[in-house]
Amino acid sequence: MPVRTPHFPDLLFGSAARLRRWEGTLMDLFAAHGYRELHPSLVLREAVPDGALRFFDGDDLVALRWDFTMALAGLLTRTFSEPPDRVAYAGAVFRRPVQPWEAVERFEVGCERIQPHGESSAEADMELARLLMAIPGVLGLKSAILHLGNAALVRRPLEAEGLSGDLADAVVAALSRRAPHRVAQAMEGHPAAARMATHAEALLSELDGPGTLEALGASPYADLLKEERSHMDRALKGLLPILPPNLELRVDLADVAGLGFYTGPTLRLWAPGAQQELAAGGRYDRLFPDLGRPWQAAGFCVRLSRLLDLADTRPDLFEQPR
Amino acid sequence: MNAASTLLIAFPKGRLGDELVPLLAGTPLALDATALKSRVLRIPTATPGVAALLLKGADLPRYVAAGVASLGIVGSDTLDEMDMDLLELADLGFGACRLSLCALASVTLEALRAKPHLRLATKFPKATEAWLTREGLTAELVPLSSSAELAPLLGLADAIVDLVQTGGTLKAHGLVETAVLGRSSARLVAARGAYLSEPGRLRPLAEMLVEAFRIKV
Repeated sequence: MPVRTPHFPDLLFGSAARLRRWEGTLMDLFAAHGYRELHPSLVLREAVPDGALRFFDGDDLVALRWDFTMALAGLLTRTFSEPPDRVAYAGAVFRRPVQPWEAVERFEVGCERIQPHGESSAEADMELARLLMAIPGVLGLKSAILHLGNAALVRRPLEAEGLSGDLADAVVAALSRRAPHRVAQAMEGHPAAARMATHAEALLSELDGPGTLEALGASPYADLLKEERSHMDRALKGLLPILPPNLELRVDLADVAGLGFYTGPTLRLWAPGAQQELAAGGRYDRLFPDLGRPWQAAGFCVRLSRLLDLADTRPDLFEQPR
Repeated sequence: MNAASTLLIAFPKGRLGDELVPLLAGTPLALDATALKSRVLRIPTATPGVAALLLKGADLPRYVAAGVASLGIVGSDTLDEMDMDLLELADLGFGACRLSLCALASVTLEALRAKPHLRLATKFPKATEAWLTREGLTAELVPLSSSAELAPLLGLADAIVDLVQTGGTLKAHGLVETAVLGRSSARLVAARGAYLSEPGRLRPLAEMLVEAFRIKV
């Protein structure tokens, strides 16, 4: 008899109803803010990455939808000459897990804000942050934490120092582990070693609020990152006064997850005690130009599978539905 | 305080654990001496609401990555082999040792390089493969989980890749270090989720651990 793993989870009554309810609630929230649903096919024929669930359709290698943003990018560039400004999506993606306890089939709901290249993106970033701030409340999370980051805080110094390939990967991996000593180890003997080590210390020095931005002043790249710091400062000043009750706002200068994809501000939603982030997103301005369209974009994805797991394992974190 | 709110710190058994326990003595995370003498693997600490788990080094990162233990102490050699998704907050400085290629005293590195079919016994296949790649060598890896020193003596392998602290065990088996592949020391690790979602709870404990070792090491 085959061993059943949780990688293709069956949802029983309670979880199935919760998934249906949350999907509907979030899509209603997005629709109320002008985001219209697109539903890319479950089967993708674009270049299939490692980690996708692949199979042959006749002679063609195809894959189950592994990522909504990539699937939507294909759909949008094939279908529209001018980008729709706000799109939303809901459904399952299928990806081989990095960690053994993660599921292959994951339920997601998300939204994307797309603009022609050259338009100011600051308001779009704020719009997405405000939208994400509303989500813990509509899902009934008793408390949550929103982390604001910016991929450029690491990306730009790496580019300025001409660091790429394995060395840049090692620095990013060290920052992802929040291990400044690993940054120093990876950079040993490089002319920029001392600068990158000091920068890593600055990025990792704090994780608790508006004062965190001050830490950037100690970085040798403080001048290079003036614009990002000012963007984050404006975001904090704009968001703190409208922070919903039970939501905490934190700055995470060392957020490097998805650094190969994100180009600017990033957003991550956590619940206290949750082992994984519940929603994540950010600005990814290189995606559409790489596909031949002069568009810029940002968005976030709510990881409903993780929320369902959390509701099962930590029901105390949720308000009881009436 | 209920069990669910108890914060668990994973401490290693074995060589690293033997060095660790005396270093914790007198700190807020000192382990309960009576419990230590028993066979229990969950030990109260001097801080209420914080308990220690005693785990094998190779299992420890999994407990932390899964969030069962919020903090842990483990050798960087183990971390490098396992590549788990966890945070590595500090190099604690103790438990320092070398990851070395070791062979019988009569066998040189050049002789090993010249072998058409080199066999290396190790419990560190990832670090060994990385070194082989750097050196432009190929080898058959013989996976072992303990007592690797026996492998060259009994003809199971031409050499071993293993941790060397004082060199005493090597010497006792007539082996010598022919190359140093890397260095290892104890690292303070944290569960990504617990640390990022509850920094106010974990950071003071992490800082307490770093401070305790800074003073004593």
